[in-house]
Amino acid sequence: MTTRSERKSASQAPVVVYDKVRKLYGSFVALDGVSVQVNKGEVMCLIGPSGSGKSTLLRCTNALEAIDGGRVLIDGVPLPTDEREARKVRQRMGMVFQNFELFPHKNALDNVAIGPVTVLGMSETKARERAMKLLEKVGLADKAHNFPSGLSGGQQQRVAIARALAMEPEVMLFDEPTSALDPETIGEVLNVMKKLADEGMTMVVVTHEMAFARSVADWVVVFDHGKVVEQGPPRQIFEAPTAERTRDFLGHLGWHG
Amino acid sequence: MNLDWNIVWDHRAELLDGALLTVLLTVLTMVVAVPVGIVLALMRLSKSRVLAGASQAYVEFFRNLPLILVVYWAFYVMPVLLHIQFSAFTTGLVALCLNVSAYNAETFRAGINSIRKGQTEAAIAVGMSRWQAMKKVVIPQAWRRVLPVLASTWVSLFKDTSLVSVIAVGELAHVALQIRSSSFRVLEMLTAMAVIYWLMGYPQAKLVDWIQKRFEVKE
Repeated sequence: MTTRSERKSASQAPVVVYDKVRKLYGSFVALDGVSVQVNKGEVMCLIGPSGSGKSTLLRCTNALEAIDGGRVLIDGVPLPTDEREARKVRQRMGMVFQNFELFPHKNALDNVAIGPVTVLGMSETKARERAMKLLEKVGLADKAHNFPSGLSGGQQQRVAIARALAMEPEVMLFDEPTSALDPETIGEVLNVMKKLADEGMTMVVVTHEMAFARSVADWVVVFDHGKVVEQGPPRQIFEAPTAERTRDFLGHLGWHG
Repeated sequence: MNLDWNIVWDHRAELLDGALLTVLLTVLTMVVAVPVGIVLALMRLSKSRVLAGASQAYVEFFRNLPLILVVYWAFYVMPVLLHIQFSAFTTGLVALCLNVSAYNAETFRAGINSIRKGQTEAAIAVGMSRWQAMKKVVIPQAWRRVLPVLASTWVSLFKDTSLVSVIAVGELAHVALQIRSSSFRVLEMLTAMAVIYWLMGYPQAKLVDWIQKRFEVKE
Protein backbone atom coordinates (compact mmCIF):
# COMPACT_ATOMS: atom_id res chain seq x y z
CA MET A 1 0.00 0.00 0.00
CA THR A 2 1.01 3.56 -0.61
CA THR A 3 2.57 5.37 2.24
CA ARG A 4 2.91 9.00 3.05
CA SER A 5 6.58 9.02 2.08
CA GLU A 6 5.55 8.63 -1.55
CA ARG A 7 4.18 12.12 -1.45
CA LYS A 8 5.99 14.09 -4.14
CA SER A 9 6.96 17.03 -2.02
CA ALA A 10 7.06 15.46 1.40
CA SER A 11 10.44 17.05 1.90
CA GLN A 12 8.91 20.47 1.27
CA ALA A 13 7.57 22.51 4.14
CA PRO A 14 3.82 22.34 4.64
CA VAL A 15 2.11 25.58 3.56
CA VAL A 16 -1.31 24.88 5.04
CA VAL A 17 -1.87 22.48 7.89
CA TYR A 18 -5.38 21.65 9.10
CA ASP A 19 -5.19 20.16 12.56
CA LYS A 20 -8.36 18.52 13.95
CA VAL A 21 -10.48 21.31 12.46
CA ARG A 22 -14.07 21.52 13.69
CA LYS A 23 -16.78 23.73 12.26
CA LEU A 24 -20.38 23.94 13.40
CA TYR A 25 -23.42 25.58 11.84
CA GLY A 26 -25.75 25.67 14.80
CA SER A 27 -25.93 22.04 15.83
CA PHE A 28 -24.86 20.76 12.41
CA VAL A 29 -21.27 19.50 12.40
CA ALA A 30 -19.82 20.65 9.08
CA LEU A 31 -16.25 19.61 9.86
CA ASP A 32 -15.53 16.98 12.44
CA GLY A 33 -11.85 16.86 13.32
CA VAL A 34 -10.28 17.23 9.89
CA SER A 35 -6.49 16.83 9.73
CA VAL A 36 -4.73 17.21 6.38
CA GLN A 37 -1.87 19.26 5.05
CA VAL A 38 -0.72 20.84 1.79
CA ASN A 39 2.98 21.00 1.05
CA LYS A 40 4.68 23.66 -1.00
CA GLY A 41 4.14 23.24 -4.73
CA GLU A 42 1.53 20.55 -4.25
CA VAL A 43 -1.96 20.26 -5.66
CA MET A 44 -4.43 18.85 -3.16
CA CYS A 45 -7.88 17.88 -4.41
CA LEU A 46 -10.81 17.61 -2.02
CA ILE A 47 -13.50 15.24 -3.29
CA GLY A 48 -16.66 13.73 -1.87
CA PRO A 49 -20.43 14.12 -2.01
CA SER A 50 -22.15 17.51 -1.79
CA GLY A 51 -22.43 18.81 1.75
CA SER A 52 -19.56 16.67 3.00
CA GLY A 53 -17.50 19.65 4.17
CA LYS A 54 -14.99 20.18 1.34
CA SER A 55 -16.02 23.74 0.56
CA THR A 56 -16.31 24.58 4.23
CA LEU A 57 -12.70 23.51 4.80
CA LEU A 58 -11.62 25.69 1.88
CA ARG A 59 -13.50 28.68 3.30
CA CYS A 60 -11.84 28.13 6.67
CA THR A 61 -8.42 28.35 4.98
CA ASN A 62 -8.66 32.08 4.38
CA ALA A 63 -10.90 32.80 7.36
CA LEU A 64 -14.02 33.49 5.31
CA GLU A 65 -15.46 31.17 7.94
CA ALA A 66 -14.19 31.00 11.52
CA ILE A 67 -13.40 27.56 12.90
CA ASP A 68 -14.90 26.25 16.12
CA GLY A 69 -12.11 23.90 17.10
CA GLY A 70 -8.66 22.70 16.10
CA ARG A 71 -6.15 24.83 14.19
CA VAL A 72 -5.40 26.02 10.69
CA LEU A 73 -1.71 26.84 10.30
CA ILE A 74 -0.40 28.91 7.42
CA ASP A 75 3.39 28.57 7.12
CA GLY A 76 3.32 27.25 10.66
CA VAL A 77 1.43 30.22 12.08
CA PRO A 78 -2.18 29.81 13.30
CA LEU A 79 -4.78 31.80 11.36
CA PRO A 80 -5.32 35.01 13.27
CA THR A 81 -8.79 35.68 14.65
CA ASP A 82 -8.19 39.43 14.51
CA GLU A 83 -9.79 40.75 11.32
CA ARG A 84 -6.88 43.06 10.45
CA GLU A 85 -4.34 40.25 10.80
CA ALA A 86 -6.57 37.80 8.93
CA ARG A 87 -6.66 40.26 6.04
CA LYS A 88 -2.86 40.08 5.72
CA VAL A 89 -3.03 36.30 5.50
CA ARG A 90 -5.83 36.46 2.91
CA GLN A 91 -3.67 38.67 0.73
CA ARG A 92 -1.25 35.75 0.40
CA MET A 93 -4.02 33.44 -0.85
CA GLY A 94 -6.04 33.58 -4.02
CA MET A 95 -9.57 32.24 -4.14
CA VAL A 96 -11.72 31.18 -7.08
CA PHE A 97 -15.45 30.71 -6.58
CA GLN A 98 -17.98 28.41 -8.15
CA ASN A 99 -20.02 31.36 -9.46
CA PHE A 100 -16.94 33.37 -10.52
CA GLU A 101 -18.11 36.44 -8.60
CA LEU A 102 -16.45 38.85 -11.00
CA PHE A 103 -17.36 42.47 -10.29
CA PRO A 104 -20.01 43.26 -12.94
CA HIS A 105 -19.40 47.03 -12.90
CA LYS A 106 -15.77 46.64 -13.96
CA ASN A 107 -14.26 45.29 -17.16
CA ALA A 108 -12.01 42.23 -17.18
CA LEU A 109 -8.82 44.28 -16.89
CA ASP A 110 -10.06 46.29 -13.90
CA ASN A 111 -11.44 43.16 -12.24
CA VAL A 112 -7.89 41.84 -12.22
CA ALA A 113 -6.30 45.18 -11.28
CA ILE A 114 -8.69 46.01 -8.40
CA GLY A 115 -6.80 43.95 -5.80
CA PRO A 116 -3.37 45.50 -6.30
CA VAL A 117 -4.88 49.01 -6.55
CA THR A 118 -7.18 48.78 -3.53
CA VAL A 119 -5.22 46.51 -1.24
CA LEU A 120 -1.57 47.13 -2.16
CA GLY A 121 -1.99 50.77 -3.16
CA MET A 122 -0.37 50.13 -6.54
CA SER A 123 -0.82 52.82 -9.20
CA GLU A 124 -3.58 52.11 -11.73
CA THR A 125 -1.12 52.10 -14.61
CA LYS A 126 1.15 49.57 -12.98
CA ALA A 127 -1.75 47.41 -11.79
CA ARG A 128 -3.24 47.37 -15.29
CA GLU A 129 0.12 46.31 -16.73
CA ARG A 130 0.22 43.43 -14.30
CA ALA A 131 -3.43 42.61 -15.04
CA MET A 132 -2.76 42.58 -18.78
CA LYS A 133 0.08 40.08 -18.35
CA LEU A 134 -2.17 37.83 -16.31
CA LEU A 135 -5.00 38.05 -18.84
CA GLU A 136 -2.45 37.01 -21.48
CA LYS A 137 -1.49 34.10 -19.29
CA VAL A 138 -5.11 32.86 -19.09
CA GLY A 139 -5.54 33.50 -22.82
CA LEU A 140 -7.89 36.48 -22.59
CA ALA A 141 -5.78 39.49 -23.54
CA ASP A 142 -8.23 40.26 -26.35
CA LYS A 143 -11.14 40.39 -23.88
CA ALA A 144 -9.48 42.86 -21.47
CA HIS A 145 -12.08 45.55 -22.07
CA ASN A 146 -15.13 43.28 -22.02
CA PHE A 147 -17.43 43.44 -19.05
CA PRO A 148 -18.25 40.14 -17.31
CA SER A 149 -21.73 40.12 -18.89
CA GLY A 150 -20.01 39.92 -22.29
CA LEU A 151 -17.91 36.86 -21.42
CA SER A 152 -18.76 33.17 -21.42
CA GLY A 153 -18.70 31.25 -18.14
CA GLY A 154 -15.33 29.73 -18.92
CA GLN A 155 -13.90 33.14 -19.82
CA GLN A 156 -15.30 34.67 -16.63
CA GLN A 157 -13.73 31.95 -14.55
CA ARG A 158 -10.35 32.47 -16.25
CA VAL A 159 -10.59 36.21 -15.47
CA ALA A 160 -11.40 35.24 -11.88
CA ILE A 161 -8.24 33.13 -11.76
CA ALA A 162 -6.23 36.07 -13.10
CA ARG A 163 -7.84 38.31 -10.45
CA ALA A 164 -6.70 35.94 -7.72
CA LEU A 165 -3.18 35.69 -9.22
CA ALA A 166 -2.85 39.48 -9.31
CA MET A 167 -2.13 39.46 -5.58
CA GLU A 168 0.79 37.06 -6.25
CA PRO A 169 -0.53 34.49 -3.79
CA GLU A 170 1.44 31.63 -2.25
CA VAL A 171 -1.62 29.39 -2.29
CA MET A 172 -4.60 29.21 -4.63
CA LEU A 173 -7.95 27.98 -3.34
CA PHE A 174 -10.48 26.71 -5.88
CA ASP A 175 -14.08 26.13 -4.77
CA GLU A 176 -15.70 23.89 -7.41
CA PRO A 177 -14.35 26.13 -10.19
CA THR A 178 -16.03 24.24 -13.03
CA SER A 179 -19.35 23.24 -11.43
CA ALA A 180 -21.27 26.20 -12.85
CA LEU A 181 -19.81 25.89 -16.35
CA ASP A 182 -21.17 24.54 -19.61
CA PRO A 183 -19.43 21.29 -20.48
CA GLU A 184 -17.67 22.82 -23.49
CA THR A 185 -15.95 25.52 -21.42
CA ILE A 186 -14.80 23.30 -18.54
CA GLY A 187 -11.67 22.25 -20.41
CA GLU A 188 -10.32 25.78 -20.89
CA VAL A 189 -10.51 26.43 -17.14
CA LEU A 190 -8.96 23.09 -16.21
CA ASN A 191 -6.13 23.77 -18.67
CA VAL A 192 -5.32 27.07 -16.98
CA MET A 193 -5.34 25.32 -13.61
CA LYS A 194 -3.09 22.57 -14.90
CA LYS A 195 -0.65 25.16 -16.22
CA LEU A 196 -0.56 26.79 -12.79
CA ALA A 197 0.09 23.45 -11.15
CA ASP A 198 2.94 22.77 -13.59
CA GLU A 199 4.47 26.11 -12.64
CA GLY A 200 4.61 24.90 -9.05
CA MET A 201 1.69 26.82 -7.56
CA THR A 202 0.43 25.36 -4.30
CA MET A 203 -3.26 24.62 -4.83
CA VAL A 204 -6.24 23.35 -2.85
CA VAL A 205 -9.03 22.35 -5.21
CA VAL A 206 -12.56 21.30 -4.31
CA THR A 207 -13.78 19.47 -7.40
CA HIS A 208 -16.10 16.93 -8.93
CA GLU A 209 -13.77 16.56 -11.94
CA MET A 210 -12.30 13.17 -11.14
CA ALA A 211 -10.17 13.02 -14.29
CA PHE A 212 -8.55 16.30 -13.26
CA ALA A 213 -7.95 15.08 -9.72
CA ARG A 214 -6.55 11.83 -11.05
CA SER A 215 -4.06 13.48 -13.41
CA VAL A 216 -3.10 16.74 -11.69
CA ALA A 217 -3.43 16.18 -7.93
CA ASP A 218 -0.49 15.13 -5.79
CA TRP A 219 -2.74 14.35 -2.91
CA VAL A 220 -6.44 13.51 -2.82
CA VAL A 221 -8.67 13.80 0.24
CA VAL A 222 -12.06 12.09 0.32
CA PHE A 223 -14.70 13.70 2.51
CA ASP A 224 -17.97 12.39 3.87
CA HIS A 225 -20.18 13.86 6.60
CA GLY A 226 -17.53 16.36 7.68
CA LYS A 227 -14.84 13.75 8.10
CA VAL A 228 -11.85 12.63 6.06
CA VAL A 229 -12.69 9.13 4.90
CA GLU A 230 -9.42 8.52 3.16
CA GLN A 231 -6.46 10.45 1.84
CA GLY A 232 -3.52 9.56 -0.34
CA PRO A 233 -1.92 10.00 -3.74
CA PRO A 234 -4.39 9.78 -6.63
CA ARG A 235 -3.13 6.36 -7.69
CA GLN A 236 -4.19 4.92 -4.36
CA ILE A 237 -7.52 6.76 -4.16
CA PHE A 238 -8.62 6.02 -7.69
CA GLU A 239 -7.14 2.58 -8.23
CA ALA A 240 -7.03 0.97 -4.85
CA PRO A 241 -9.28 2.84 -2.43
CA THR A 242 -9.19 1.26 0.99
CA ALA A 243 -12.34 2.80 2.39
CA GLU A 244 -15.75 1.40 1.50
CA ARG A 245 -17.14 4.93 1.35
CA THR A 246 -14.55 5.99 -1.26
CA ARG A 247 -15.46 3.01 -3.46
CA ASP A 248 -19.17 3.88 -3.13
CA PHE A 249 -18.61 7.50 -3.99
CA LEU A 250 -16.39 6.80 -7.01
CA GLY A 251 -18.77 4.07 -8.11
CA HIS A 252 -21.69 6.54 -8.08
CA LEU A 253 -19.69 8.78 -10.38
CA GLY A 254 -19.11 5.85 -12.71
CA TRP A 255 -15.41 5.72 -11.90
CA HIS A 256 -14.06 2.21 -11.95
CA GLY A 257 -10.29 2.47 -11.58
CA MET B 1 -69.32 83.51 -11.61
CA ASN B 2 -66.94 86.39 -11.68
CA LEU B 3 -63.38 85.21 -12.22
CA ASP B 4 -60.33 87.42 -12.10
CA TRP B 5 -57.23 85.69 -13.41
CA ASN B 6 -55.24 88.90 -13.26
CA ILE B 7 -54.66 88.17 -9.60
CA VAL B 8 -52.25 85.43 -10.61
CA TRP B 9 -50.31 87.62 -13.00
CA ASP B 10 -50.21 90.47 -10.49
CA HIS B 11 -48.51 88.24 -7.96
CA ARG B 12 -46.14 86.55 -10.40
CA ALA B 13 -43.02 87.72 -8.60
CA GLU B 14 -44.11 86.27 -5.25
CA LEU B 15 -45.25 83.04 -6.88
CA LEU B 16 -41.89 82.71 -8.64
CA ASP B 17 -40.05 83.25 -5.36
CA GLY B 18 -42.26 80.61 -3.75
CA ALA B 19 -41.59 78.17 -6.55
CA LEU B 20 -37.84 78.75 -6.24
CA LEU B 21 -38.02 78.14 -2.50
CA THR B 22 -39.91 74.90 -3.14
CA VAL B 23 -37.11 73.76 -5.45
CA LEU B 24 -34.48 74.89 -2.94
CA LEU B 25 -36.20 72.96 -0.12
CA THR B 26 -36.33 69.82 -2.28
CA VAL B 27 -32.68 70.06 -3.31
CA LEU B 28 -31.37 70.86 0.18
CA THR B 29 -33.44 68.08 1.76
CA MET B 30 -32.00 65.53 -0.68
CA VAL B 31 -28.46 66.88 -0.27
CA VAL B 32 -28.75 66.14 3.44
CA ALA B 33 -30.97 63.07 3.36
CA VAL B 34 -28.90 61.04 0.87
CA PRO B 35 -25.66 60.95 2.92
CA VAL B 36 -27.62 60.61 6.18
CA GLY B 37 -29.59 57.75 4.60
CA ILE B 38 -26.34 56.02 3.59
CA VAL B 39 -24.92 56.39 7.09
CA LEU B 40 -28.15 55.05 8.65
CA ALA B 41 -28.15 52.09 6.23
CA LEU B 42 -24.50 51.27 7.02
CA MET B 43 -25.25 51.52 10.74
CA ARG B 44 -28.19 49.17 10.29
CA LEU B 45 -26.01 46.67 8.42
CA SER B 46 -23.05 46.93 10.80
CA LYS B 47 -22.20 44.24 13.29
CA SER B 48 -22.70 46.61 16.22
CA ARG B 49 -26.07 45.99 17.82
CA VAL B 50 -26.13 49.46 19.31
CA LEU B 51 -25.63 51.15 15.93
CA ALA B 52 -28.05 48.82 14.16
CA GLY B 53 -30.66 49.28 16.88
CA ALA B 54 -30.32 53.07 16.91
CA SER B 55 -30.68 53.19 13.14
CA GLN B 56 -33.69 50.92 13.14
CA ALA B 57 -35.39 52.89 15.90
CA TYR B 58 -34.84 56.13 13.97
CA VAL B 59 -36.17 54.72 10.73
CA GLU B 60 -39.24 53.09 12.26
CA PHE B 61 -40.02 56.25 14.23
CA PHE B 62 -39.93 58.74 11.39
CA ARG B 63 -41.28 56.43 8.71
CA ASN B 64 -44.46 55.88 10.67
CA LEU B 65 -45.24 59.45 11.69
CA PRO B 66 -47.22 61.77 9.42
CA LEU B 67 -44.84 64.33 7.97
CA ILE B 68 -47.11 67.21 8.95
CA LEU B 69 -46.87 66.12 12.56
CA VAL B 70 -43.07 66.17 12.37
CA VAL B 71 -43.25 69.65 10.88
CA TYR B 72 -45.43 70.89 13.74
CA TRP B 73 -43.25 69.09 16.26
CA ALA B 74 -40.07 70.68 14.91
CA PHE B 75 -41.73 74.10 15.05
CA TYR B 76 -43.46 73.99 18.44
CA VAL B 77 -41.87 71.24 20.52
CA MET B 78 -38.21 71.17 19.45
CA PRO B 79 -37.49 74.72 20.68
CA VAL B 80 -39.01 73.94 24.09
CA LEU B 81 -37.66 70.44 24.48
CA LEU B 82 -34.19 70.79 22.97
CA HIS B 83 -33.75 74.55 23.23
CA ILE B 84 -32.99 74.72 19.54
CA GLN B 85 -34.68 77.48 17.64
CA PHE B 86 -34.33 77.94 13.90
CA SER B 87 -35.98 80.11 11.32
CA ALA B 88 -39.18 78.72 9.86
CA PHE B 89 -37.28 77.73 6.69
CA THR B 90 -34.60 75.78 8.57
CA THR B 91 -37.21 74.20 10.83
CA GLY B 92 -39.13 73.01 7.77
CA LEU B 93 -35.92 71.73 6.25
CA VAL B 94 -35.07 69.80 9.44
CA ALA B 95 -38.52 68.18 9.48
CA LEU B 96 -38.26 67.16 5.82
CA CYS B 97 -34.73 65.78 6.35
CA LEU B 98 -35.82 63.73 9.37
CA ASN B 99 -38.57 62.14 7.31
CA VAL B 100 -36.77 61.62 4.00
CA SER B 101 -33.57 60.31 5.66
CA ALA B 102 -35.64 57.48 7.13
CA TYR B 103 -37.00 56.56 3.70
CA ASN B 104 -33.58 56.86 2.07
CA ALA B 105 -32.06 54.63 4.75
CA GLU B 106 -34.49 51.88 3.80
CA THR B 107 -33.81 52.44 0.11
CA PHE B 108 -30.05 52.13 0.58
CA ARG B 109 -30.39 49.14 2.88
CA ALA B 110 -32.51 47.30 0.32
CA GLY B 111 -30.07 48.25 -2.44
CA ILE B 112 -27.04 47.01 -0.52
CA ASN B 113 -28.83 43.82 0.54
CA SER B 114 -29.75 43.10 -3.06
CA ILE B 115 -26.07 42.58 -3.94
CA ARG B 116 -25.10 38.91 -3.60
CA LYS B 117 -23.06 37.95 -0.55
CA GLY B 118 -20.55 36.29 -2.89
CA GLN B 119 -19.53 39.72 -4.19
CA THR B 120 -18.43 40.83 -0.73
CA GLU B 121 -16.69 37.50 -0.19
CA ALA B 122 -14.81 37.82 -3.47
CA ALA B 123 -13.63 41.29 -2.46
CA ILE B 124 -12.59 40.09 0.98
CA ALA B 125 -10.82 37.07 -0.49
CA VAL B 126 -8.71 39.47 -2.59
CA GLY B 127 -7.62 41.03 0.71
CA MET B 128 -9.96 44.02 1.00
CA SER B 129 -11.37 45.16 4.31
CA ARG B 130 -15.15 45.07 4.77
CA TRP B 131 -15.26 48.82 4.29
CA GLN B 132 -13.21 48.63 1.06
CA ALA B 133 -15.49 45.84 -0.21
CA MET B 134 -18.49 48.02 0.54
CA LYS B 135 -16.97 51.10 -1.12
CA LYS B 136 -15.39 49.46 -4.18
CA VAL B 137 -17.73 46.58 -4.91
CA VAL B 138 -21.11 46.72 -3.18
CA ILE B 139 -22.09 50.39 -3.21
CA PRO B 140 -21.20 51.01 -6.88
CA GLN B 141 -23.48 48.12 -7.83
CA ALA B 142 -26.21 49.08 -5.35
CA TRP B 143 -26.41 52.59 -6.89
CA ARG B 144 -28.04 51.27 -10.04
CA ARG B 145 -30.83 49.72 -8.00
CA VAL B 146 -31.13 52.63 -5.60
CA LEU B 147 -31.26 55.47 -8.12
CA PRO B 148 -34.76 54.78 -9.53
CA VAL B 149 -36.20 54.58 -6.00
CA LEU B 150 -34.43 57.79 -4.98
CA ALA B 151 -35.90 59.45 -8.06
CA SER B 152 -39.43 58.49 -6.99
CA THR B 153 -38.72 59.76 -3.49
CA TRP B 154 -37.56 63.02 -5.06
CA VAL B 155 -40.87 63.54 -6.84
CA SER B 156 -42.87 62.77 -3.68
CA LEU B 157 -40.65 65.10 -1.72
CA PHE B 158 -41.15 67.90 -4.24
CA LYS B 159 -44.89 67.81 -3.54
CA ASP B 160 -44.52 67.16 0.19
CA THR B 161 -42.54 70.35 0.68
CA SER B 162 -45.96 72.06 0.52
CA LEU B 163 -46.60 70.73 4.03
CA VAL B 164 -44.10 73.14 5.55
CA SER B 165 -46.48 75.95 4.53
CA VAL B 166 -48.24 75.29 7.85
CA ILE B 167 -45.35 76.88 9.70
CA ALA B 168 -45.26 79.85 7.31
CA VAL B 169 -42.25 78.91 5.22
CA GLY B 170 -42.66 81.07 2.13
CA GLU B 171 -42.61 78.32 -0.44
CA LEU B 172 -45.06 77.98 -3.32
CA ALA B 173 -48.03 76.59 -1.37
CA HIS B 174 -47.71 79.14 1.39
CA VAL B 175 -47.40 82.06 -1.01
CA ALA B 176 -50.40 80.91 -3.04
CA LEU B 177 -52.52 80.34 0.05
CA GLN B 178 -51.56 83.74 1.45
CA ILE B 179 -52.63 85.48 -1.74
CA ARG B 180 -55.84 83.49 -1.64
CA SER B 181 -56.72 84.64 1.90
CA SER B 182 -55.91 88.27 1.28
CA SER B 183 -57.70 88.48 -2.06
CA PHE B 184 -60.48 85.91 -1.50
CA ARG B 185 -59.70 84.59 -5.01
CA VAL B 186 -59.91 80.96 -3.93
CA LEU B 187 -60.62 79.25 -7.23
CA GLU B 188 -58.07 81.25 -9.18
CA MET B 189 -55.25 80.80 -6.70
CA LEU B 190 -55.83 77.09 -6.08
CA THR B 191 -55.99 76.51 -9.82
CA ALA B 192 -52.82 78.50 -10.39
CA MET B 193 -51.10 76.58 -7.61
CA ALA B 194 -52.15 73.27 -9.16
CA VAL B 195 -50.96 74.32 -12.61
CA ILE B 196 -47.57 75.50 -11.33
CA TYR B 197 -46.98 72.35 -9.26
CA TRP B 198 -48.04 70.16 -12.17
CA LEU B 199 -45.90 71.97 -14.73
CA MET B 200 -42.88 71.64 -12.45
CA GLY B 201 -43.64 68.09 -11.34
CA TYR B 202 -44.43 66.53 -14.71
CA PRO B 203 -40.94 66.88 -16.25
CA GLN B 204 -39.46 65.48 -13.05
CA ALA B 205 -41.78 62.47 -13.19
CA LYS B 206 -40.79 61.91 -16.83
CA LEU B 207 -37.14 62.12 -15.84
CA VAL B 208 -37.80 59.46 -13.20
CA ASP B 209 -39.37 57.21 -15.84
CA TRP B 210 -36.28 57.68 -17.99
CA ILE B 211 -33.94 56.92 -15.08
CA GLN B 212 -35.91 53.79 -14.24
CA LYS B 213 -35.60 52.55 -17.80
CA ARG B 214 -31.98 53.53 -18.11
CA PHE B 215 -30.89 51.83 -14.89
CA GLU B 216 -33.14 48.82 -15.08
CA VAL B 217 -31.14 45.89 -13.73
CA LYS B 218 -30.93 43.02 -16.14
CA GLU B 219 -29.60 39.77 -14.77
